Amino acid sequence: MDQVWIIPAIPAVIFILVALFGRLMPRQGDFLVILGGLTLVALVFSMFPGFQAAYHDGHFAPEGRNVFAFDWVNIGDGFFIIQFSTYVDAITMVMLPVVTIVALMVMIYSTSYMHGEPRYFWYFSVLSLFIAAMLTLVLSGNLIQLYLAWEGVGLASFLLIGFYWERQSAAEAAKKAFITTRVGDVGLLIGIILLWRATGTFDIQAIIAAAKAGAIDHTYLTVAMLFLFGGAVGKSAQFPLHVWLPDAMEGPTPVSALIHAATMVVAGVYLVARFSPVYAEVLIARDVIFYIGLTTAVMAGTMGLVSNDIKRVLAYSTVSQLGFMFVALGTGAVGAAMFHLFTHAFFKALLFLGSGSVIHATHAQEVEHLGGLRKKMPWTTATFIVGSLALAGVPIFAGFWSKDEILAATLHDGPILGYVILAATAILTAIYSTRVVLLTFFGEPKDHHAYDHAHESPLVIVGPLVLLATLATFAGFFALDQVGQALGFVGGIGQLVYLEHPHMFTQPDWLLAGIATLGSLAGIGIGVAFWHGDARRAVAARAWAPDLHALLVNRYYMDNLYQAIIDRVILGLGGVVAWFDKRIVNETGVDGGAQTVGYLGYRLKFLETGRIPNYALGMAVGLVAIVVVAFGMQG
Amino acid sequence: MTSADGYVLIALCLIPLGTSLALFLVPTTQRSAVQALTGIASLVMLAFSLYVFFKYQFNGEQFQGVLAWTWMQHVGLLGEKGIQFKVGVDGIGASLVLLTGIVIVPATWVTWKIQDRMKEYFILLYLVTAGVYGAFVILDLFFWFLFYEMALMPMYLLIGVWGSTRKEYGAMKLMMMLLAGSIFIFTVIFALFAHVGLGTFDMVALMGAEKDVTFQRIFFPLIVVGCGTLGAMFPFHSWSPDGHAAAPTSVSMLHAGVLMKVGAFGVIRLGYQMMPEGGAYWSPALIVLGITAGLYGAISALRQTDMKLLMGFSSVSHMGYVFLGLGTFNAIGWSGAVLQMTAHGLMTALFFLLIGGMYDQSHNRDIPNFSGMAKQMPVWSIFFIFAAMASLGLPGLSGFIAELHIFIGTFRAYPIIGGLAVLTAAITTTYLIRVLAQAFFGEMNPRWAHLNEITWTERAGAAFLAIAILVLGLWPTPWIERIAPSIINIPGITL
Repeated sequence: MDQVWIIPAIPAVIFILVALFGRLMPRQGDFLVILGGLTLVALVFSMFPGFQAAYHDGHFAPEGRNVFAFDWVNIGDGFFIIQFSTYVDAITMVMLPVVTIVALMVMIYSTSYMHGEPRYFWYFSVLSLFIAAMLTLVLSGNLIQLYLAWEGVGLASFLLIGFYWERQSAAEAAKKAFITTRVGDVGLLIGIILLWRATGTFDIQAIIAAAKAGAIDHTYLTVAMLFLFGGAVGKSAQFPLHVWLPDAMEGPTPVSALIHAATMVVAGVYLVARFSPVYAEVLIARDVIFYIGLTTAVMAGTMGLVSNDIKRVLAYSTVSQLGFMFVALGTGAVGAAMFHLFTHAFFKALLFLGSGSVIHATHAQEVEHLGGLRKKMPWTTATFIVGSLALAGVPIFAGFWSKDEILAATLHDGPILGYVILAATAILTAIYSTRVVLLTFFGEPKDHHAYDHAHESPLVIVGPLVLLATLATFAGFFALDQVGQALGFVGGIGQLVYLEHPHMFTQPDWLLAGIATLGSLAGIGIGVAFWHGDARRAVAARAWAPDLHALLVNRYYMDNLYQAIIDRVILGLGGVVAWFDKRIVNETGVDGGAQTVGYLGYRLKFLETGRIPNYALGMAVGLVAIVVVAFGMQG
Repeated sequence: MTSADGYVLIALCLIPLGTSLALFLVPTTQRSAVQALTGIASLVMLAFSLYVFFKYQFNGEQFQGVLAWTWMQHVGLLGEKGIQFKVGVDGIGASLVLLTGIVIVPATWVTWKIQDRMKEYFILLYLVTAGVYGAFVILDLFFWFLFYEMALMPMYLLIGVWGSTRKEYGAMKLMMMLLAGSIFIFTVIFALFAHVGLGTFDMVALMGAEKDVTFQRIFFPLIVVGCGTLGAMFPFHSWSPDGHAAAPTSVSMLHAGVLMKVGAFGVIRLGYQMMPEGGAYWSPALIVLGITAGLYGAISALRQTDMKLLMGFSSVSHMGYVFLGLGTFNAIGWSGAVLQMTAHGLMTALFFLLIGGMYDQSHNRDIPNFSGMAKQMPVWSIFFIFAAMASLGLPGLSGFIAELHIFIGTFRAYPIIGGLAVLTAAITTTYLIRVLAQAFFGEMNPRWAHLNEITWTERAGAAFLAIAILVLGLWPTPWIERIAPSIINIPGITL
């Protein structure tokens, strides 16, 4: 446990090795990356016995401890200290298996999916960097260290989204992702500095302790925590900074799986969960989180309904599901949020890798070109359906359990309207997941060229799919106390994550679960009714409300709005300032000054006439003036 | 550091000066002799700079390696100490000496490919280097000003003869503005001499002497204007974009990388250390100028299309952070300011090296003319992206640690301005990432199919700077250990 720093160090070292020497290695060094991934999974699972022992000793709860601490910056003998350390508690222990398992699946899958791509070694090395940064993030005991990892995650995603940089669209998507998340990071950094200003430390646990002790002014703390949440909004693609994530699918599909499931977008959820004891003190901030999450969940859900790109639908579903997690955090149900993060990671990775399998086989990702693939790709179809059922929240599949907890938390601690909206969004989720499944795998092939081309993917692709499908089916059982106790924990995941205020829903609320089940079945029914067969109803529905359809297809015009703000306002301001600098400061001020001197020189040189009477006159006038002034001063 | 190490400090001034003189003796046709001589000299300077940096350990003595020879005494107004050739460094000076040593090596390497009068170029370039080293290590106002001017004067010829793009205009403007700044500095030097009345130009003695508060409040702003002009401080920054656009590669590297830092260093040494009460009085003004420069430079950079103009405005913005940090007048903000000098020096040097390596082939720096350059020049592109990441403050690279300290220092006193400073970092991201997406990614423009990858010396130089950026970014502790105690020791500064 004390040597946990090794976990992020392994992929970091592999990143350097493969980035520098990968080209010279056999198989361009991908085996090294996978070996690292395997080691990480093994290490994480080997941590569990020790964690449980320490957990029962009370080491990690409630305050945990920082280990492997060293000073990075120390000014004035401890007045200003940045101390790197690792911190492990239950939240970390939920994140670690998620990150490492999904990462390993993505790596194995990529060996086939990325086979023969240019810059193969670069792809794998950045994958390793991505994982190193994410693991550092979840293990950080210090906010600056967390910010360092946070930006490292951003850099790796920038490089991977822009992996096919020859495509203008990929370059644009990478740019959009980096700048948008960076806007959120401004908030995060301000939040971090504000917290330091109030407490004099960057140590996360010390800050939480200070906040709980009421050492920070309440309004001040609210502002600081809202800024901190700004970082989560950017990273986790929440409204209004959600625009980058749907475009981020320009990267290779396995990268999307990683970004959407394990490494990038869940960082924001993790951050808010990590600070949940502080958010419990500032309820206004928590309400903001709740409503942002709710807005995002609905908005993204509706956008997912109309998109024709299979990956884009999945991207909207991620945004929407992240909204669910923030709703849970907004009600204070950290356990529910982390649980949904946990299950979502597996089924969303599964869905993305499944869509990648389809794209790999057909070279098409628009549903207009797909259809009827179930005959040709049985494994992919079966696993994709499992993932969709989990996403839709059908019982026994993982998403059912976690979504149910979120809905229960919303009903108990949130406004009733929030519950209604969220439940409706859950139905929406079922509808669009059904739609994608039907349009991709069922019905008649729409593009025979793509269909004829299709074939089942090789084992290294199907294998991870099957494993993730297994997890997507069974991961939900961690909700049950009996399962948790059987594994040696105090109880289910709800008990594990938030020990201090034991989560009130340690057992599923079966009535709510029944309602949710009816909802998701209804959603699936609607999906089947509209899109099964010739989809006549879907066309009719589109014709019925063309404006609404256009609004959704155009993503509520938010991308256009932001583009206009950048083009008109920001670049416009840039133009004004650049004009001011060129014309006023430079040409008028500097050059103007020089020209004035030059002009005066030209004019004044005519005073030099070369005629002695002129000079004599000048001298006489000057003498008189001096005498007058001298007498004037004396008397 | 013992006073015997003062000889190393003197050597740092004399090696470039001696190399300049020795180059007179080398025939112009002997290019390889010039290259060998300058190559050795630059490596020796780097070695000595590293020695000074690592040998400096704060032990209660502010200035270490102090050595002095009296040049004039008991003449006219001059008293016992009079004018001395006196050297010595504190942590701030030591870190900037190291910066100079790091920048001069790649600056020398990239100059080797100049075909036209390379020897003369080096004579002037090394005069500048000697001047810069002198400004960082000399502790006597008379000689300080001598070396300060020695760093400026050759710039006119370097830009006017070897430059490009309106070089006469750029050289003249740069020279005029910097010399106007010198007048202010010159005035303050004599005002200090007269006001203190000890009959000495010894900086340490002058720092310790009693000074009237009114005197400090009147003369402090003169130093800010005079040295701030060299530091490209808004609104005296106008020479910077045009000057950099006109300057040849290694001059841009040395100028933006090191010489601009002499300006900020002057504000510390001649401003705050000589007149701490004046500094405390005018610090809010520096805050305002600093944040204005930060935002103004960044927003202007959004619309620049010439790569070097972009870097010029980017420098205005980044040097704005330095003045912002100084304006906080607390130890964290100041540590950030001094770190930012090093960080900005390293990354601008890298930027200008790369832009030069490309411009020498394409004779074009207009960003919209480029696209997909990562295909044609992958190594160049990777270094450029690296430099951009350092510039936009990516943690783990040099810019972040400096900016973080400045932001925190600012937040302590002025939270809203601190917030604006963080926002500036987002604008920086925008203009740099836009350039990357435009020029490096996307489909390759076939017009540039004839361009070659940058040369091996340029790659070596870029790699050298990149490593320095990484080291400072990942392990800033050695810098902070030296800078922070020296800063805390300055009278008037708060923690």
